Amino acid sequence: MRVVIGEDEALMRRGLALVLEHAGFEVTAVAADADDLVRKATAHRPDLVVTDIRMPPSNTDDGLLAARAIRERHPQIAILVLSHYVQRRYATELLQRPNGAAGVGYLLKQRITDVDTFCTDVRRVHHGASVLDPEIVSTLLKVDAPNAPVARLTPRQLEVLELMAQGRSNAAIAERLVITEKAVVGHISRIYDLLDLPPSPQDHRRVLAVLQHFSH
Amino acid sequence: MRGSAPFRAALALVGVITVALAALEVVLLLSWHAAVPGVLVLFPIVGLIYLAAGVSAWSRRPSNRLGALLILGALAWLAAGLLNVTVPAIAAIGLVTAVLPLALVLHMLVAFPSGRLRGRADRAAVAAIYFATLVLQAPAYLFGQGADPVSAGLAIADRPELARLGSTVQDSVGALAAAIAIVLLAARYRAASPAQRRVLGPLYLYGIAVWLFIPLSARTIPPLLGPIELAVFQLALVAGIPIAFAIAVRRGGFAQMADLDELSAWLAVRSDGAVGLTRALSCALGDPTLRLVLWAPRSGGYVDSRGDRAVDPGPGEAAVEVMLAGRRIGAIVYDAALIGEPSVVHAAARTVAVALDHQRLTVELTASGDRLRRSRERIAHAADDERRRIARDLHDGMQSRLVLLGMEASMLSSAPDLSPDARTAVAELRNGLEASVRELGALVHGLMPPALLERGLSAAVEDLADRTPIRTDVDLDLAPGTPVLSPAVELTAYFVIAEALANTVRHADASRLQVALHQRDGRLRVDVRDDGDGGAIARGETGIRGIADRVDVLGGDLTIDSPPGGGTRITAEIPCAS
Repeated sequence: MRVVIGEDEALMRRGLALVLEHAGFEVTAVAADADDLVRKATAHRPDLVVTDIRMPPSNTDDGLLAARAIRERHPQIAILVLSHYVQRRYATELLQRPNGAAGVGYLLKQRITDVDTFCTDVRRVHHGASVLDPEIVSTLLKVDAPNAPVARLTPRQLEVLELMAQGRSNAAIAERLVITEKAVVGHISRIYDLLDLPPSPQDHRRVLAVLQHFSH
Repeated sequence: MRGSAPFRAALALVGVITVALAALEVVLLLSWHAAVPGVLVLFPIVGLIYLAAGVSAWSRRPSNRLGALLILGALAWLAAGLLNVTVPAIAAIGLVTAVLPLALVLHMLVAFPSGRLRGRADRAAVAAIYFATLVLQAPAYLFGQGADPVSAGLAIADRPELARLGSTVQDSVGALAAAIAIVLLAARYRAASPAQRRVLGPLYLYGIAVWLFIPLSARTIPPLLGPIELAVFQLALVAGIPIAFAIAVRRGGFAQMADLDELSAWLAVRSDGAVGLTRALSCALGDPTLRLVLWAPRSGGYVDSRGDRAVDPGPGEAAVEVMLAGRRIGAIVYDAALIGEPSVVHAAARTVAVALDHQRLTVELTASGDRLRRSRERIAHAADDERRRIARDLHDGMQSRLVLLGMEASMLSSAPDLSPDARTAVAELRNGLEASVRELGALVHGLMPPALLERGLSAAVEDLADRTPIRTDVDLDLAPGTPVLSPAVELTAYFVIAEALANTVRHADASRLQVALHQRDGRLRVDVRDDGDGGAIARGETGIRGIADRVDVLGGDLTIDSPPGGGTRITAEIPCAS
């Protein structure tokens, strides 16, 4: 399990390396700007690229653009994008991945402060899952208008939707909510009906479907 | 301006003394002259007419010297009238001053309308005529009229040929002076406006006619009229002179209404600024070329009403400073040929001082308004730059540092050799650090929204809508190809929308929000409306005031339409042409 890190702050770079090694990864290269990240990912062909969004040269969304460029050239490399701030637009861009592409994740940097959960998420991305930060999901699931479809969901269905949108598998949802996987499948089918989501059996496809449902 | 009380008292005293002198002369004439006393009394009466005209003109226009000249004319007539008294010592006064009244008539003609002499030619003509009437008169009474015992009082020799020679020289110099005067008056008449000519024409013609007629008539008319009739005719003509001058002076001479009382009244009711004030002044003082300039202490020079550097007085122009409370506030630049007496302009300067100061302050305010706007712009830019810098520093430094501390706490809490209590404490520490990271993130977001910094206005507005717990529709029309928005415009538009959304969430009890952004014709239009309770203006949010200030700094407008119960609509129009 090899990883290339893109991060312009030296301290954060070391911290990330530390926590990724803790998760069982071998850090093969680190890059301090977006161009260097693309070069090193191409050279090392790691299993996973972990990158910050705001990076030189322009200090805007260079890291995100680098991640998309890497995935386009090397779809087998899983991508985990980190940032101090998450927004739906970036999530939508990241989750629109080609068929058969490796996993993708978009998390707040502060998730590192829960090392165990973070390491689990990193492994899930490595294993091909779509992982979306809970903050984006909860923002999207805000119950606004009384007649919105989301408002008709039961509290349990909302919990299932939220975990589903974070990219968790049926088994993980069942485990988290302490219910059977069969019950999870029942909830999910009801949610699909209510929100009129297109059928998408794969876990990571479900995330994009939910995202797009809440897009304006 | 009717003159001060001391001036009026002095004038009254002069009048009383002159009347007394006239009365004395009447008594002298009646007592010491047997023949035709009735006609001789006409002399002091003409003198009194001069006096009345002089007092009238002088009291009306204290700064105008014609009043003084008319009173001098009265005294000259009284003196000349003494010629007819049979007491030689008194008659001598009359002998010396016999033709002085004629000199004064010429003096007044040349000095009209201000009563002051302008230029060398004026002074030469007047000096020549006084020389002719006072000095060249001497041969007549020193060498002539030996036969007349009364007139002989001053004679030193009976030399008629010298007297005749003197008379010829006197006539020549007098004619020369008159010729200069006529040329001067003709030039003045040519230069005058039609309105001025209506005053000048009759006065000049009448004055010159009288002046020429009196010496000539003495030689040409006697066959037609008896000496008595001639004298009465001459005196009647001469008596018309002061009346004509007094009327001309009281009418304002050159000016339509040099009476500044009217100007004051005008100033009290009008406020149409520099143009109106200049027009009123030029009308009051009779100078269409008159202009007002304002003193600019900052640049130490004069400026016009637009704040541009004023043109210096040209040739023929004069300037009078306008002072208020000891400060110089401006100047009146006028045509020195049209307005002979600076004192009138000085009086006008006092009258318009307050109005001019008002105008000067307006010009100053406009200029300082521009400076203020630029300075606000700079301050706003500096504040935004500072915001951006602080947000970046926090993002790059503190946020990462706290995250790493939380990570260390997290790793520490799962260390195998930790007591349960320590494990709990470390877990709490981690939770606390995570909460701090969240708070810091919110702070950084409030300073400078990352979406705006990374992706620009439309991404940031979309993100705002995502985070608003009320359904928010976003309509973005920032067509590609339109000029890129400046950071200041983007940030201001963002804050307008953020503040509007926050207000709706806090107060409006709304179920729908609409955000629209349109960029066209160099303006960015931001429009946020909700279907809530309205009444946002009544609440007078400080946040709304803050964004209104921001919009104002950029030269835009912010309008709030929020009728109670009718929803709230906040619209900002921001110039964004690059």
